[in-house]
Amino acid sequence: MGAHQAWLLAAIPAGMFVLLALFGRYLPRKGDYLGVLAIGTSFVLFFFVLGDFLHVGPQHWPIVETIQWSNIGSFHLRMGTFVDPITIVMLGVVTTVALMVNIFSIGYMKGEPRYYWYFAVLQLFVAAMLFLVMADNLLMVYMSWELVGVCSFLLIGFYWEKRSATEAAKKAFITTRVGDVGLFIGIILLWKATGTFNIQEIIQQAQAGQIGHTYLFVSVMFVFLGCMGKSAQVPFHVWLPDAMEGPTPVSALIHAATMVVAGVYLTARLLPLFEVASGALLVVTIVGLVTAILTGLMALAQTDIKKVLAYSTVGQLGFMFVALGSGRPDIAMFHLMTHAFFKSLLFLGSGSVISATHHNQEMDRLGGLWKKMPITGTTFLAGCLALSGVIPFAGFWSKDEILHATETWSGGWAFILLSFAAILTAFYTTRLFIRTFMGEPKDREVYEHTHESPLVMTLPLIFLGILTCVAGLVIWNGVGRALGFPGGITEFIFLTEPERYHFDWVLAGASIGIAGVGIFGAAWLYWGNSLEKSTKLAEWNPGLYQLLVRKFYFDDFYQAVIDRGVLGFSYIVAWFDRYVVNDTGVDGSAQITGYSGYILKYLQTGRVPNYAMGIALGVVGLAIAGLVVRG
Amino acid sequence: MVPLSNYLVLSAIIFSLGAYGVLARRNAVLILMSVELMLNAVSLNFIAFAAYLDPTKVTGAIFAIFVITVAAAEVGLALAIVIRLFRNRATSNVDEAATLKW
Repeated sequence: MGAHQAWLLAAIPAGMFVLLALFGRYLPRKGDYLGVLAIGTSFVLFFFVLGDFLHVGPQHWPIVETIQWSNIGSFHLRMGTFVDPITIVMLGVVTTVALMVNIFSIGYMKGEPRYYWYFAVLQLFVAAMLFLVMADNLLMVYMSWELVGVCSFLLIGFYWEKRSATEAAKKAFITTRVGDVGLFIGIILLWKATGTFNIQEIIQQAQAGQIGHTYLFVSVMFVFLGCMGKSAQVPFHVWLPDAMEGPTPVSALIHAATMVVAGVYLTARLLPLFEVASGALLVVTIVGLVTAILTGLMALAQTDIKKVLAYSTVGQLGFMFVALGSGRPDIAMFHLMTHAFFKSLLFLGSGSVISATHHNQEMDRLGGLWKKMPITGTTFLAGCLALSGVIPFAGFWSKDEILHATETWSGGWAFILLSFAAILTAFYTTRLFIRTFMGEPKDREVYEHTHESPLVMTLPLIFLGILTCVAGLVIWNGVGRALGFPGGITEFIFLTEPERYHFDWVLAGASIGIAGVGIFGAAWLYWGNSLEKSTKLAEWNPGLYQLLVRKFYFDDFYQAVIDRGVLGFSYIVAWFDRYVVNDTGVDGSAQITGYSGYILKYLQTGRVPNYAMGIALGVVGLAIAGLVVRG
Repeated sequence: MVPLSNYLVLSAIIFSLGAYGVLARRNAVLILMSVELMLNAVSLNFIAFAAYLDPTKVTGAIFAIFVITVAAAEVGLALAIVIRLFRNRATSNVDEAATLKW
């Protein structure tokens, strides 16, 4: 078992999906332990892959394994796995988080209907996600890309008895589909220019200047459209908060840690193309910045725990895109990894709260839960500190690096804007923690019935909590070497341009200051956690508050566009169909036939001489016509 | 030798007489007789062309024999119909047998 057999990681959950989907309901415990077993096996196999990968050494990277897929005429399509440091990071993140979420789900989903189906789709999702990060060609990327989208759709709409859940599932699917069409167009454009789907060959040809500049820019922008849709960047961000209708462990796995970072992953994978097409990186940066700031503001006024976390996820994805836009895929992948750990921890923590308070996720009715749920509270605090960027939690190191990268790259403006987004992040994270876990409980009844979650739920929290504390340290070259890597994570990923990690005290100080401003600002406003305080804040500037609560009217705008534009257009099309196509075309031709038959039937007199006359005149007519035509 | 045109003119005259009879007469038996005239005009044409174009071949004559055969069958059938018509309606006027219409 080595890196050449990496496809096994995905094949095992895929097989388990088939097994669980067909027979899950007949198995004891509905087969949940089989799901954990399959993903656990992938998790263990990952370390074999990692060991082999490190063993063969950087001179043999990437490790590629391909087979013939299909031959169409002279066109040979190959499919295969492509394992390089970026893939290794993704494989590690996906298998780790998926395993934790699977274990957590056993506790969280207990007694839910369609229990086996939930675990089956989780398997399918993990398989598709692992295929996605290992794919060596864009066609495979697109296939698994759609497959994870389908899993997301199925799991958001898991409680399909609830209308809001089905609506959210549809919204997620359609919104990402808009981007996916762009991705597909981009893939076709790249294939047309290069004649291959293989990612590395496309990059080589682009770097050799074989693709026209404008052409490359346009196709890269189409691909990026797909990345924006999947990673919920403005203006496609609207689906992710609604996706919180799904079961909370799903939000942790799919809508925080793995699937939504597929856009970041694909952009990182294709970053050489973005670099060749000058201007593309600037677009990536601007999209990331706008998303980080807007969603940071939107998160301020949310009162639903999961919605706050959803907006923060979108914001953090924006941070990753800013890192990519600065030309630093290593930092983006680093932040992706740390974010996956602390955000899945936060989501699982909120899941623990929701399940303990009998499906209560409104902050206005929670509070003071730390005393009741010490393990959840403590691990949640670790996640919040990491999200805010407090040293030495994981989020600090990666966020610090992103700020550093933007400062070097843009020379100022992006750095300032991103710092503002970071302050917002720290602010709403603190608000979230204070209003959920501290102060006096706002709803006594909810509070009294709350209890700490069972071990099967707290264990993943503790494991992810530990990762949240230590994962950021892999930035240090010493730590990386001690673990057997050729250096810290940036050196590991950025092999072509090894950069030594410097701990910049000034920047770290600024970064800590940024987190501090946000945290203390929120603490000053919300400390004590009374409803009056938050109500007073809302009344301080009602116009601004409305703007934030309504999420900058993005949803209202889309709704209006759909109502006026799409429905208006559909109305015209329906009118055309009804009156022109149906009434005039279909019914009209039938009526003409019927009416002319009604008129012409009187020719049928029943008198033989009339018919004889008809025949005679016909013959004469034909004879005359023949003479005229012949001349 | 009589030129071909004479036969054709004679044939045309007989055909026109037959056509006039079919169109103008109302008595079913007379219409049938007129139809026979037309058929015979056609047969005459066949024979004339056959003799003039290639006397060694008998194509036209065979056609004429076929026409006579068909005419005989047709008359047999048609007269039976006329008899049935007369039995039912007590008339052989075709104008009065006009129920098969719109």
